Amino acid sequence: MPLPQSEFIVNVEHVSKHFQQGSVVVKAINDLSLTFEAGEFAALCGPSGSGKTTLLNMIGGLDLPTKGVIHLESQDLSTLSRAALSQLRRDRIGFVFQAYNLIQVMSAYENAEFVLALQGVPKAQRRERVMSMLEKVGLKGLESRRPDEMSGGQQQRVAIARAMVTHPAVILADEPTANLDSENAEALLDLMETLNQKEGITFIFSTHDQRVMDRAHRLITLRDGKLDSQRYKKEKAEQKRSVK
Amino acid sequence: MNLVGLAWKNLWRRKRRTSITATSIGFGVFIAVTFSGTGDYSYTNMINTSAKMGLGHISIEAPGYMLSPSLDKKIHHVNDIQQSLANLSGVQDSYVRIQGQAMFASAHKSVGGAFLAIDVNNERAEHNLFMRSLVEGEIFTKRGQGVNETLSGIVIGQGMAKKLKLRLGKKLVYTTTDKHGDIVNGMARVSGIFSTGVKDIDNSMTLLPIQTLREVIGYSADEASVVAVMIKDQRYTDKVLKVVQQRLTELGQNKLEILSWRETQSEVAGMIRLDRSSNQISQILIGVLIAAGVLNTLLMSVLERTREFGVMMALGMAPLSLFFLVVVESVWLALMGLSVGVLVTVPWYLYMNRVGIDLSGSIGDDYSAGGVLIDPVLRIFLYPETILMILFTVLMLTLLSGLYPAWRAARNPPIDSLKAM
Repeated sequence: MPLPQSEFIVNVEHVSKHFQQGSVVVKAINDLSLTFEAGEFAALCGPSGSGKTTLLNMIGGLDLPTKGVIHLESQDLSTLSRAALSQLRRDRIGFVFQAYNLIQVMSAYENAEFVLALQGVPKAQRRERVMSMLEKVGLKGLESRRPDEMSGGQQQRVAIARAMVTHPAVILADEPTANLDSENAEALLDLMETLNQKEGITFIFSTHDQRVMDRAHRLITLRDGKLDSQRYKKEKAEQKRSVK
Repeated sequence: MNLVGLAWKNLWRRKRRTSITATSIGFGVFIAVTFSGTGDYSYTNMINTSAKMGLGHISIEAPGYMLSPSLDKKIHHVNDIQQSLANLSGVQDSYVRIQGQAMFASAHKSVGGAFLAIDVNNERAEHNLFMRSLVEGEIFTKRGQGVNETLSGIVIGQGMAKKLKLRLGKKLVYTTTDKHGDIVNGMARVSGIFSTGVKDIDNSMTLLPIQTLREVIGYSADEASVVAVMIKDQRYTDKVLKVVQQRLTELGQNKLEILSWRETQSEVAGMIRLDRSSNQISQILIGVLIAAGVLNTLLMSVLERTREFGVMMALGMAPLSLFFLVVVESVWLALMGLSVGVLVTVPWYLYMNRVGIDLSGSIGDDYSAGGVLIDPVLRIFLYPETILMILFTVLMLTLLSGLYPAWRAARNPPIDSLKAM
């Protein structure tokens, strides 16, 4: 059932996700309720197995809850078909993965262009948007490089360009700095923070990385699939408002 | 989304594997062309040769003549029939002939055999195997000119000449039955000797002038036992047969039997059917092997990219698009295979079509199968429809082989594909 229009971009209501592992039922998420506002820069943290990635996958429509409902922009994800979920991900969600997950046979330009091409955006418009986005993420001049010709930091920048170029409602980033050295991780976080502040795009991270937690405006800690705590960082939120 | 370009790039991730698979498809094309080409060539050759042995591709006969050929079963108004067939669609030529059995005797010996009486002035050597195979003398001896012209003599096979100890100019007596079934004799001097290369034929077959034979057996100038119709392309025998049938009905000759070479040369037809079936089984087996190779390549390629497919679906690629991506990959593979096949096969085809491989050394003296002369040189020839069929079959086999991997790629939920190593 669609929710009334609100500031909430993501609404997680009494969501549980159970997995069968042999004869044991693992409760990855257990009756969790959370909301995310548009323009948030939030981090899901907690120990391994606490349910961060599972929650992120369900918010992105990659996985469905065993119980409960997730709304993304008022749309109940459990009511959508596979094709409709694909379309929703294509048009409204950007993904950044820990292992970059670029398509190996494509250049940086083609990877960044991929979702725009899926959307059927005209070629000239695609070119303009991709070139502009690659410039924003600091990859100008590296457009024709393939993933195996780029460093981890550069690859993750391409992944961010790919996620950002469609102007999605929300970017879901699963451990985006886990494979990066400090310098690259800081640069990437600067970039994402700037894009969040300038473009108003909602970022939800799952992370173990203290650097990400330090930058996040809101920290949500999960433990055993439940909400353990959540904390808003006032100064960050204010900083964001002043930029707006 | 440019699936065509992406599919092309995907194929070249594993250059060696793709090259080997494309080569195996190309090899399949090569085998298919060789098998089908030898079939197309030898079947056409056998059919046309058997047609040139007397009865044509289509034979117009008196009712019951085929089952029990005797000279009391004759057709009338043969000249009208022949005229009505001129310029008929698909018909190249038609010949009025009398065919029958006889005893042939020389001063030394007598043998049983058969005769084919022809109107030599209207016969074309290219449509008459015996005329084409003349090795000594001439086709009959002419006496007089114009309306007074008469033809005499007999042309016999080399084997019969040897058996009867005959040479050019020697006398031969033939004994047969006339239109009433009574025994009659004729005498002729040997005007020519032919050698077809088929022992049975060379031992027993003779050519007689139709006017002379008509006098011996009591046929009028408008009567014969068969009108042999040669058609332009043996593949259209059934179609032309219907046209001939219609024309004869219009002529009021609807009681005559109109038979195709399949009925008059049933042994040849049966042999071709059998050979074609075994040829097809071999080709199916080769097709299965190629399809298994393509399936293996695409399946491996899909399994290796499970995670990437998960990423693509996570980014919003619809499962159906993913399905088509793999299908397009299989189309590319088919096109590459066909290109390799064409490159490898064209020089082979040209050589085999123009030169061929001479098998006469291994065949021996008798170049016959089912009583029909066969070409001792192995050649290949393809009809356009056979070429299209080969290309279409290879394309379809490759495409079908790609369907399962494509389905495998598209059916997984993205989360499962993303978890793949």
